[in-house]
Amino acid sequence: MQDALNAILAKAAAEFPALASRPEFEAAKARFVGPNGELTAVLKRMGSVPKEERPAAGRMVNEAKARLQAVLDASLARIEAAAEAARLGPAVDPTLPSPDPGPGKYHPLTLVREEMCRIMHKVGFSVADGPEVETEFYCFDALNTPPEHTARDPQDTFYFPPSARFGNVARKNPGEKYLLRTHTSSVQIRTMLKGPPPIRIVSPGRAYRRDTTDATHSACFHQLECLSVDRNVTVRDLKALIDHVFSSLLGPDTKIRFRPHYFGYTEPSFEVDLSARHLPKVNKEWIEIGGCGMVDPSVFASVGYDPAVWTGYAFGMGLERLAMLLYAVDDIRYFYQNDLRFLGQFS
Amino acid sequence: MRISLNWLADYVSLEATAEEITHAVTFLGFEVEGVTSAGAPRLDQVVVGEVLARDKHPNADKLSVCQVDIGPAGGVKTIVCGAQNYKVGDRVPVALPGAVLPGNFTIKQSKIRGQLSDGMMCSRRELGMGDDHEGLLILADRPELGRPINDVLPAGDTILDIEITPNRPDCLSHLGIARELAAWFGKALKYPEIHHPTIAALPPGGAAAQTGFPPASSPVSLSVSVTAPADCPLYIAVAITGVTIAPSPPWLQDRLKAVGLRPVNNVVDVTNFVLLERGQPLHAFDASKLAGGRIVVRRAANGETITTLDGREHKLDDRMLVVADASRPAVVAGIMGGVDSGVGPGTRDIVLECAVFDPLSVRRTSRSLGLSSDSSYRFERGVDSRMAPEAAARALDLIVQLAGGRVAGPVHVVGGEAPSRREIALTPAFVRERLGFDIPDADMKAALESLELRIVREETHAGTGPSWTVSIPSWRDDLDRPIDLVEEILRLHGTEKIPPGRVSAPGLVGEDDPVVRFNRAAAAYLVGHDFNECVNTTLRSAHETAKWVSETAAQELALSNPFAEDQSHLRPTLIMGLLENLRLNQSRGVPASRLCEVGRIFIEHNGQNFECASAAFVIGDDGARRWLQRAPADFYEAKHHVAALAACAGVSLGDAPLDSIPGPYFGWQEGHSALAGDMDRGWYARFGLLNLGIVRDLGVAGAVHAGIFAILPERLQSAAARRRYSDFSLFPPALRDIALVVDAAEPAAAVGAALARAARKAVGGAFALESVSVFDVYRGPNLPEGRKSLAYSLVFRAADRTLTDEEVNAAFGRLQEDLLRSTTFQIRK
Repeated sequence: MQDALNAILAKAAAEFPALASRPEFEAAKARFVGPNGELTAVLKRMGSVPKEERPAAGRMVNEAKARLQAVLDASLARIEAAAEAARLGPAVDPTLPSPDPGPGKYHPLTLVREEMCRIMHKVGFSVADGPEVETEFYCFDALNTPPEHTARDPQDTFYFPPSARFGNVARKNPGEKYLLRTHTSSVQIRTMLKGPPPIRIVSPGRAYRRDTTDATHSACFHQLECLSVDRNVTVRDLKALIDHVFSSLLGPDTKIRFRPHYFGYTEPSFEVDLSARHLPKVNKEWIEIGGCGMVDPSVFASVGYDPAVWTGYAFGMGLERLAMLLYAVDDIRYFYQNDLRFLGQFS
Repeated sequence: MRISLNWLADYVSLEATAEEITHAVTFLGFEVEGVTSAGAPRLDQVVVGEVLARDKHPNADKLSVCQVDIGPAGGVKTIVCGAQNYKVGDRVPVALPGAVLPGNFTIKQSKIRGQLSDGMMCSRRELGMGDDHEGLLILADRPELGRPINDVLPAGDTILDIEITPNRPDCLSHLGIARELAAWFGKALKYPEIHHPTIAALPPGGAAAQTGFPPASSPVSLSVSVTAPADCPLYIAVAITGVTIAPSPPWLQDRLKAVGLRPVNNVVDVTNFVLLERGQPLHAFDASKLAGGRIVVRRAANGETITTLDGREHKLDDRMLVVADASRPAVVAGIMGGVDSGVGPGTRDIVLECAVFDPLSVRRTSRSLGLSSDSSYRFERGVDSRMAPEAAARALDLIVQLAGGRVAGPVHVVGGEAPSRREIALTPAFVRERLGFDIPDADMKAALESLELRIVREETHAGTGPSWTVSIPSWRDDLDRPIDLVEEILRLHGTEKIPPGRVSAPGLVGEDDPVVRFNRAAAAYLVGHDFNECVNTTLRSAHETAKWVSETAAQELALSNPFAEDQSHLRPTLIMGLLENLRLNQSRGVPASRLCEVGRIFIEHNGQNFECASAAFVIGDDGARRWLQRAPADFYEAKHHVAALAACAGVSLGDAPLDSIPGPYFGWQEGHSALAGDMDRGWYARFGLLNLGIVRDLGVAGAVHAGIFAILPERLQSAAARRRYSDFSLFPPALRDIALVVDAAEPAAAVGAALARAARKAVGGAFALESVSVFDVYRGPNLPEGRKSLAYSLVFRAADRTLTDEEVNAAFGRLQEDLLRSTTFQIRK
């Protein structure tokens, strides 16, 4: 019996490693352990083994079965592994490029806007928004820009015909003309009219001036303004904020200076210069970067705040100008052409 | 405005360098746009010399050794020179040992490559006369040898080009700037002495009109009337007889030339000089050319014409103010004189006008005629009528001094304001409170006084400190309120000295605006899905707009005063810009396929425009070949992204009926695009294939899929209700599939909804229909013409048990019977 078992095992050991597929394996397996299999035949002969030899024969058979099973398992594992490998195909070339597009990139103006908003968030400012189509009240009257002011001249500001109706841009006074806002300061007015101080907002957005488009001007451009209204807000607080903004943005070596200036909606008013020699393509010691000042009492009066109780400051700057400075871009038109070779460079 | 530092020195001795003055002007609040030097600075030991001989330097190729004659006193010097542009016989500036050239460069006797040199021959730059370093300054008119160079060259000066802010018309003059600088440097301001008795005797702002015929002794007959007093609050006219028109003396010519004016003659130059000294525009008439001896300040008649000094003829209308004689306009008031009323070489008698015109009137006329001048510039910004008599007197002084003649007849004054005293109450405590740092009382006082803001009363209250009453001079119309004086004090204290501080940051007062959050979420989604964010201008051309909205809608979006033809309309969609971006990249050979933008669009609805927040994308064919091909974009990819954008706004695309775009529709391809929502709902979505013709006409290659979602900002304001968790079953589902043959035009969503309805009915309350989802759509053989097959998978589940086949089969059977009975669907076996 042992010989018969050994012969079966030897045969299996020779046959199974050569098998290449699952059907071959199943057929081969049937030849050994199927109902008519060779090992089955040996087992069937167990009945004829004398009783006293049965334990030894049983051990022999069990051992042979285990050894055969090991051969089968190994063979099956090998065949399945080969089949899986065949399904997977050849190994990948990790250096081939992905055929998928991407990654997508943010526009540089978005990057700069969001960075500024994060910087302002850190010191308690939230981001406000308002319509780009405005009325004369929000864009001019409330900001101490009287009707005869040159900024309101149709030479400088885009207007809509008197017949134009904007369903979701409310007019403060009947008959006001609609226009494209010339600055995002109108958002300050809308915010202040919504509720009482304290207010700390930053309002980035588009603004429009009736101007020739060239390397540094665009009829449609982006501004970012901030407004803080509270009790006892001082000129020194304003300077501290501007210092914070630019040292956060450009590093602690950045110097800021205020030059007295004139804006109708702030008093006193300043232009802000920054000294950042470490930036590329900067060949002047001081670069003008924005305007600011203490909110003019007349602005508070126009939104119903008591100027004796509340004080505040406002600061505004052009986002394109800032982006041009940060990224050393020398033509504003690149921001609006959207050449992917340009857009891809910033994030 | 151009300011000459030499000229300033007439009014204040600053004892400061040009750099220090530039800095001061800047920090007084006036931007210095340019600094130019003219003429030569004071140079000692620099004289005129003549090159007698020029030999090559024995030890240097590029140097010459010259013998230079500097006149009898100096003799002949040996000078080594590197310049090449001169020849023997030229006269040149010679700096002798001891001379100090600009830049603190001291000339010494020295050895240059072994050769003794006794001085230096100079270029323009070396003399501090500009940047020209091309070679020696050749003195072509051959001045006398040995003369000090300052006798030969124009005097040195520095010209500042200063931008004056609109609130400070008082600084549109040398005297105005001198006043500011005197305050900054703590120096005294010297007003020019005014001699002329007649005007000096005028009551300040005297309101009495002194028109009428002059005394018989006067050879000049003059009458003055103002028929539009609102446009001309003050008119002063004086006749001067017997002037001699001649060129101005050099000092006056130099003053004008230094700031870029061309000298004309003594009378005209005086009017310009006084304008630049005091900011008061003046005009001089030839009295003989004033018809009827009359000056009438009136509105022009419609259609009247005048040819101005610049040679242009203007047609006037009745909104424009003119200064006319008895027959016709002689001057466009406050802006420019006519060609034939001015002072010329033959003029003997003149009439000097010193008037104040209304800023708005001058601006309106200047704009509509396209005509401006130094005079109109000042009137538009406001001229101080209370200082006008003094300016007139100053001009009379100078005219009589330079052109001779004498004042003939009375001084005609029409209008004028009575003097008023404006005062502002101010406390130093208020100043400190607004500044947030300390400036001593004494410094505040000094600052105010230095600007002639006199403290006329001081009171001290126990506990609150002093309070001041500050008197405001007539030229400071910009000062009204205490805060205005805070600015004056800060300006003179110096804004550079604002001490650093800490930002007080007491936490966020509010949340970011919902529109901001939507924009951010939409951009993050799109960029995260491999779209490149673009930014396009909001203003588009009429032609482009017409492709995307109806004619009526386009009309509503039009600006009334566009600047450029291609930027005349508000954009009704972001997609037009994105298509243009695809085109630009393609035309530049840059592969571009996935672009997006987030921004405002303007949607016309029932005759009104609505400003909407919006996000959009396009997916084009970038034409690039790839080693591994991907399935191209299709309608359903666009739908997927639009649904995600809607979700950024808290909107579910399924909340509104979804219609395929039925016929030709702006921008979109019929049968391959869809729309959902409208302005009544407060949002809309459009997506699918862009109209092939439009895309092709734009020059964009390949098909473009796109999508846009827009929402009213106010629709974003409503906070979504907080969601509640709903329980779900932990028992296994039971699945059944069903294929329905339906009309080919039947939307899958409608079939699915009918199926779900029937399934719920069949299940009753026994268990739940969890989902119905379409998994196959088939058209073709085996189906009747005009029909399609939709296969759905239904998922059933019970909350409390594992479903048995029997109960599910029973329900599924009821469902099929119901469908056959109540719909036109066939069940495909």
